[in-house]
Amino acid sequence: MMKWMKLAIRNILRNKRRSLVTLLAIGVGFAAISLFYGYVDFMYYGLRESAVRGEGLGHLTIYKAGWLEKGKLDPERYMFSKMEIDKIIKLVQEEDEVILATPQIQITGIVTNGTVSTIFIAQGVVPREDKTIKSAWGAFRPIKGEGLEEKKPYGVEMAQDLAKYLNLKAGKDGVVMAPTLSGQMNAMDIQVSGVYDSGSDATNDKYMRFSFDFAQSLLDTRSAERIVVLLKGWKKTEEMRTILQKKLTQAGIACEIKTWNELSLFYSKVRGMFDMIFMFIFSIVLVIVVMSTVNTMGMAVLERTREIGTLRALGLKRRGISLLFAMEGGLLGLFGSLIGVVLHATVWAIIRAVSPTYTPPGVSTPVPLIVNFVPQTLFVLVLCLILLSLLAAIIPARRAARQNVVNALGHV
Amino acid sequence: MALIEMESIKKDYLLGETVVPALQGIDLQIDKGEFVAIWGPSGSGKTTLLNLIGAIDEPSEGSLSIAGREVRLLSDNRRSELRNETIGFIFQGFNLIPVLSALENVMLPLQIKGASSGESKTKALTRLEELGLSEFVHHRPFKMSGGQQQRVAIARALVTDPSLVIADEPTANLDSETARRIIALMRQLNEKERTTFIFSTHDQRLLDQVKRLVRLEDGRIVDGGGKQ
Repeated sequence: MMKWMKLAIRNILRNKRRSLVTLLAIGVGFAAISLFYGYVDFMYYGLRESAVRGEGLGHLTIYKAGWLEKGKLDPERYMFSKMEIDKIIKLVQEEDEVILATPQIQITGIVTNGTVSTIFIAQGVVPREDKTIKSAWGAFRPIKGEGLEEKKPYGVEMAQDLAKYLNLKAGKDGVVMAPTLSGQMNAMDIQVSGVYDSGSDATNDKYMRFSFDFAQSLLDTRSAERIVVLLKGWKKTEEMRTILQKKLTQAGIACEIKTWNELSLFYSKVRGMFDMIFMFIFSIVLVIVVMSTVNTMGMAVLERTREIGTLRALGLKRRGISLLFAMEGGLLGLFGSLIGVVLHATVWAIIRAVSPTYTPPGVSTPVPLIVNFVPQTLFVLVLCLILLSLLAAIIPARRAARQNVVNALGHV
Repeated sequence: MALIEMESIKKDYLLGETVVPALQGIDLQIDKGEFVAIWGPSGSGKTTLLNLIGAIDEPSEGSLSIAGREVRLLSDNRRSELRNETIGFIFQGFNLIPVLSALENVMLPLQIKGASSGESKTKALTRLEELGLSEFVHHRPFKMSGGQQQRVAIARALVTDPSLVIADEPTANLDSETARRIIALMRQLNEKERTTFIFSTHDQRLLDQVKRLVRLEDGRIVDGGGKQ
C-alpha cells in the first residue's frame, strides 16, 4: 500500500499550482466550517448558561401535574403546598448529581414610583440559593447596588430599563401591586436593592426579582409555582429527569418535569437558526470540496490517460487504477484538512489575542466573540473531508479505470 | 504447443458508422524463443496485431491463445494477470512513469504482481545492471536520454521474466547508433534467456537481424505466417 501511497503523493505534487488551489479550497472550507462550529459551540454554551443561570431556570423545573396547562386559570390548585415543597426538596437533594432544589414563583403586576406606573414580571427566588444558581454568571452581568438578601425582605432587583423608566435606582422606594391567588389586589412597598441588565432589550423594561418570601406575601400564599433543580452538569439533564420523575411519582407526587432547553424558547429558536446556518455553510463547503476534487482529479485523469494505459498494459487491474486515483483524492482531502487545521488554529489564536466584541440583535450589551477550540470536532471534520474527497475522486477514478487500454495508450 | 496461436483472426474498427477492417483473417503461430518482426507499410495492421497478441485488445472474430489460454474467455482481471505474468511491453514512446525513478519504473510490474519491496528492488537492480544502467537507477525519466529511457523500458519489460516481450516500433524514436545497440541488446536477451520477442518495425537495420519476418499488407499476412 505504501508504494501506491508514494506514487499518489508524487502525482499530487506533479501539478503543484493546481493541487495547491485545490488544497487551499479544501483548507479554507475546512477552516470556515470549523471556526463557525467553534463559534456556535461557544454560542450554545453561552445560551445554555444564560438559560440555566441567567434566566435562573436551573437544569430541571418541577411543576405540579397540570400546572403548564391550567395553572394560570386556577393557580392555587396547581401550586405545590408547603408540605409538598419540603418533601420534594428532600427527595431531590438525596441524589448525588443534584446541587440544590429551590422553590420559585412568578408574579405579574404593576409597579409604581408614586407618579408613574407600569407592568412588571417578577421571579420570586430564595436569595441564597439564587446566588448559587447564578454562580459565575453574576460576574458577567453584575448588579448595580446590592442583590437580594434574606435579611432585607422588601429589597428587590429591578431590570435597568424599568428602573430608568420609573426613575428608580438602588436605595429608592416604590410600590408593587398584584392580584393574590384569591383574586384580590394586594400592594406592598419595595426598596430597590440593585439594578441589573437582563441581557435582552425585550425584558429589560419589565423584569424584577423578589425574594421568595416577599413574593409569597404579595400573592398571599405559602405555596410555590415550581421547584428548580440545579445539577452538577448539564449533560445528565435527561437522565436525571427520568430518575426524579420516577422517584417523585413513587413518592405520590403528581408532577411534570421540564428541562432547561424545553423552557428556554430563546435557546431552542437560536439553536435551530444556527443549526440551519451551519448546515448551509457545510453544504456550500461540501460542494466546493467535491467540485474542486472532481475537477482536479478529472484533469489528472485526462492528462495521465497514456500513463493509465501503460499501467493497465503492465497488468494493473481496473480496481488498482480506481484505488490509485481515489487515494490521490483522499490525500488531497487529508492535506487540505491539515491546511484547514493550521488556518483554524491561526484565526482562533488571533481572535483570542484581539478579544473582539459585538452586540447581537435584541441584546442590550456587547458580548465577546469567542471561538471554542474543539479538537474532537476538528478530528471528525478531517475524517469527513478525507471521505468526501475520496468519494469525489471515485467518479474520475472509475472513468480512468474503464478506459480502453489501446485508446489510452494512443492518447496524446 | 505454440506460445501464440491465432486462427482466422479478424479485427474491425468503427469509424463513425463505417466499419474499417484492420485485420482480415490472420493465422499465425509463434513458438517460445522466437525473435519475430512484424513489418509492412503504415496502416497494414501491425500495431493492431501486436495489441491482440499483448492481450490489450480483443479480436472481432477468430481464436487467439497465449501460453495455452484462450484470450476471449478471460475476464478483464485475468487478462491483466496474464499481461503482468507472461508479457512484457516495450513502447515506441518508452511510456515510463515520469514521477518514478528508473529503479521504481522497473520495480512497477513486480509490485503490481504483489512482490515485496525488497524482492522487487533486487530484481530491478539486477535488470538495470544487465542493461548498463547502474549509474542511472535514481534518475527520473526526463533526466535520461532516449536510449537510456528505452533501456529502462526494456528492463521493465523483462523484470518479471516474461515468456513474451512485445515491442511496438522500439527503435523509432532513437538515433541510429542507439537503435543498433537496442537491437543488439534485444537479440542478446532473446538468445540468452529464450524470451520470445515480437516487434513491429519499419527499421531495415532491425529486419536484417531477425530470423523470422512476418509481412502484413492490408490486414493480411502475405509472408512469414507459417510455423518456422
